[in-house]
Amino acid sequence: MKDIKIITEHWGKIDPLKIEDYLGVGGYEALGKFISKMKPEEVVEEIKKSGLCGRGGAGFSTGNKLESVANNPKAEKYFICNLEESEPGTYKDRLIVDNNPHLLLEGIIISALSIGAKRAYIYINGNFEKQKEILERAIEQAKEKKYWGENILGSEYNLEIEIFSGAGAYICGEETALINSIKGNRGEPKYRPPYPTQAGLFGCPTAVNNAETISNIPWIILQGGKEYAKIGAKNSPGTKLFILSGAVKNPGVYEAPTGITVKELIEEYAGGIQKGKEFWFAQIGGACGKLFLEKELDAKLNFSVGTGRDLSVQMGSGSILVVDKSVNIHDLLISWTDFFRRESCGKCVPCREGTFRLWEIAKRFRDNKISDRDKEAVKDILWTLNNTTFCPLGKFSATAFQDAVEKLKIWK
Amino acid sequence: MEIKINNKIYEAKEGEGIFKVCKNNGIKIPTLCSSKEFQEGLCRICVVEINGKLMTSCNTKVAEGMEIITESENIDKARRINLELLWADHAGKCATCKKNRMCKLQSLAEEYKIENFHFIPRKGEITGQEELDLIRDNWTRVVVENENPCISRNSEFCVECRKCINVCPEKAFGFNHRGSDIVVGTPYEKVLDCSFCGECVRVCPTASLMDQNNYGEIVETLDDLKKFSVAVLDFGIEEKILEQIKIGISPEKDLNKLLINLGFEKIISLSEKDKDNEDEIIKQIKTDYAKQEKINPADIAVFFISSKIYKKKNKNEFLDYVLSEREVARLVRDKEKIKTGKIRL
Repeated sequence: MKDIKIITEHWGKIDPLKIEDYLGVGGYEALGKFISKMKPEEVVEEIKKSGLCGRGGAGFSTGNKLESVANNPKAEKYFICNLEESEPGTYKDRLIVDNNPHLLLEGIIISALSIGAKRAYIYINGNFEKQKEILERAIEQAKEKKYWGENILGSEYNLEIEIFSGAGAYICGEETALINSIKGNRGEPKYRPPYPTQAGLFGCPTAVNNAETISNIPWIILQGGKEYAKIGAKNSPGTKLFILSGAVKNPGVYEAPTGITVKELIEEYAGGIQKGKEFWFAQIGGACGKLFLEKELDAKLNFSVGTGRDLSVQMGSGSILVVDKSVNIHDLLISWTDFFRRESCGKCVPCREGTFRLWEIAKRFRDNKISDRDKEAVKDILWTLNNTTFCPLGKFSATAFQDAVEKLKIWK
Repeated sequence: MEIKINNKIYEAKEGEGIFKVCKNNGIKIPTLCSSKEFQEGLCRICVVEINGKLMTSCNTKVAEGMEIITESENIDKARRINLELLWADHAGKCATCKKNRMCKLQSLAEEYKIENFHFIPRKGEITGQEELDLIRDNWTRVVVENENPCISRNSEFCVECRKCINVCPEKAFGFNHRGSDIVVGTPYEKVLDCSFCGECVRVCPTASLMDQNNYGEIVETLDDLKKFSVAVLDFGIEEKILEQIKIGISPEKDLNKLLINLGFEKIISLSEKDKDNEDEIIKQIKTDYAKQEKINPADIAVFFISSKIYKKKNKNEFLDYVLSEREVARLVRDKEKIKTGKIRL
């Protein structure tokens, strides 16, 4: 089971610019199966059975999301592939495009058709110019083969696909901000409810799914949801792309079943800690991730926190930054806080002002000019970020700083 | 439906916001950014506890069986911290501010006893021995624009509540930049060019958007014994002026007395039917009226007191000043201060 590869299976073996290569390894067979043998609701049912959940970090059930859009009586519906990916230390989605863009495209077509959408958007981070080109090429090739457009593979299905290039704002990875951005509005989150599944893009029911999530769909269609559910952790099955960086021997992206421990990933996949370096902590889930000390590395990586004896941690985007003792914590604190200060949309008070103040205090800490007053202020800011911000970005911006104070005892 | 607020049962309608239900039942919740028309949940000051979780009351709708608490230790803490963060982004200039005593942020800061001791002010006067580079970081973009004829803009006082952006019928404003650099401005920071309906100035809780005028000159004219100051009151402005000053500026309820106190010698009240020929009536003051009373027109100062601040554009030889209800309130406020010996002009 450990060796099962769903997303990375053909990486490096096929030419991403050639649709023939993908067809040669069974590409678009899932789409063919769907068109010839399955009803849209059966696709949704299979995905529900698979237990697949959102790979962007939140881990929401993909099947439920698709189902709620599919069941909406409104005629106009949209499907959006979220390729914003700006979490620091996370670069899995763009590697999917780099290595196998048609897998993603096939997933998008099947997902969009399964919910009854006539139009699908690929929302791509504005900085991913190379990936945009690859996708444009793939979309063109797929159109020639009639995998999308009018009367897909001779059927009654129609679908338009459009790439929408964002401006590279972190907040636009949040689905309501992303939808605002496509509409031409300021990229900032919107109050929920209504959820996008009820009233999303242009007021229509919209499913926004992460690129990695979507890339699992063809496999599920071909092998069945039941088979997928057998992989990895029970409460969030499947494989996941993990991005290991920092003080490991072989940094990179690895596909592994969910429920794997952090230790296994570091030791067995990334070749362990680099020679001469001493492990300090690992940050899981990007700049907004929690920090884990050595004694916590046996925790299993999941999307939902396990109950009972099973020690598990939420993996977020799946990035694991391994930090060794030679790293200057000041640099990291400034890097985290500066990131969130810059990327906050600035609309709500605690996030706009709080992220700025954390950055300011991090700089004073570096310069050894931190006062007790600052330490008190940090407590207040972290509290308000955790409890009162408009969207989760505020909470995210507090996580690592809070762990640095509580677990790493940076104040001493 | 029935909901519980502070352990008492209240009736609420489907789709109503919690803030509104509380307000209708006399339960006070502070807010900076929400209004009757727009509830965006930006200031995070109207937070209440819903089933134990902190949520903004303005944009959260009631739901069957909801249990809401409007005062608790956590609610107080949230309001204090968020106000303190805002205050530090604003601090410094209350004593000399045009909107002193008429400012929403100031009154909230007073109510919640906010003192800025945690953070270095990002705007305004910076005192103390703080490091220069930190101060430079903290001086974020400030937009000051006094080139348009009607509205004086100074983002130094802005609390980014978005009221002006939402209320503007012409979408003249928007958020520029993001994060802590955010500033309310015009596209490409061009000089404000709109029809100057004045709605943004009306809704601004602080001194960020104010009526454009030459305040010193106005005070001087009113105090000048040689000048004959005439106030032309637009239809319906009386109520608006009294509304402005009743927030503790002056106990006086007789508008004529107030205006005479300010130095006006004659008051003309327009009626509804004068709407279309107000310019004509104003013109008559320096012409027919001056002739009739044998006053040199050069010694007459005509003030049009109106919410139509776009009239400031149309000042001419017959109309010297256009004052809004807010500017009258400011004149009253300063007069009261002089009376009680608090300031000297």
